[in-house]
Amino acid sequence: MEIELRSADGITIVGIRGNVDGLTADELMRTFSERVSEGSVRLVADCASLDYTSSAGLRSLLGAVKLARQHGGDLRLAAIQQQVLRVLDLSGFTSILKTYPDVQSAVGSFVEQA
Amino acid sequence: MSAPICVVHAATMENLPRFLGFIDDVCADLDADSHTKYALRLAVEEICINLIDYGYRGRPPGPIELIAQDHDDRVTLVIRDRSPPFDPTFSPAPDLTSDAEHRMPGGLGWYLVKQLFDEIRYAADTPAGNVLTIVKRKAK
Repeated sequence: MEIELRSADGITIVGIRGNVDGLTADELMRTFSERVSEGSVRLVADCASLDYTSSAGLRSLLGAVKLARQHGGDLRLAAIQQQVLRVLDLSGFTSILKTYPDVQSAVGSFVEQA
Repeated sequence: MSAPICVVHAATMENLPRFLGFIDDVCADLDADSHTKYALRLAVEEICINLIDYGYRGRPPGPIELIAQDHDDRVTLVIRDRSPPFDPTFSPAPDLTSDAEHRMPGGLGWYLVKQLFDEIRYAADTPAGNVLTIVKRKAK
């Protein structure tokens, strides 16, 4: 897994590349936690290059969205690949996480809200 | 039908990359759709981590043996271990409906394996140990 951070319109975009699994999920959770503790609570996960997640990755996403919301923000997912979306759907995560077809619309959803 | 391919390592987190590397290699050579390959990797990860974290908990890590076989229309994965028996077909259902604040993530691993595979059989305490067999039919 590789993580790339960038920002747009005051929103932090966390680009996730490769596999989020039992070996890498803690690093992803740590990345989200660090952003929130820095005060960046409006987060978009760019999933365009996220090829795989297991239940370990789902735990990180759940932990991150809880943390962001506790601090008045949110974690929103963008550009999810079909296989990953299926796992999110099966796990009931698409009912608790907001998903968008691309990063631009996920970032825009925060801007419209402000 | 191809010959079965197998690997065996001790049930430790240090060996998890070896188990995942095994199934990645199997998938690279597999004549199957991407759904099947995704399901196989997820099953190997979830099942190995369960055995490492819970199956052998409190005792020296025993073996996990993976045996993959490509059939024309399906792939079978056999997982053998020597931990105290745990039949995953009776694993508790996860929480799929609570809101984010109250959602508990436990139980998703076995749930996903059961959702993504077409057949799951478990035999405890055989001469070969506990034997879990999971079958994924290939997409046509």
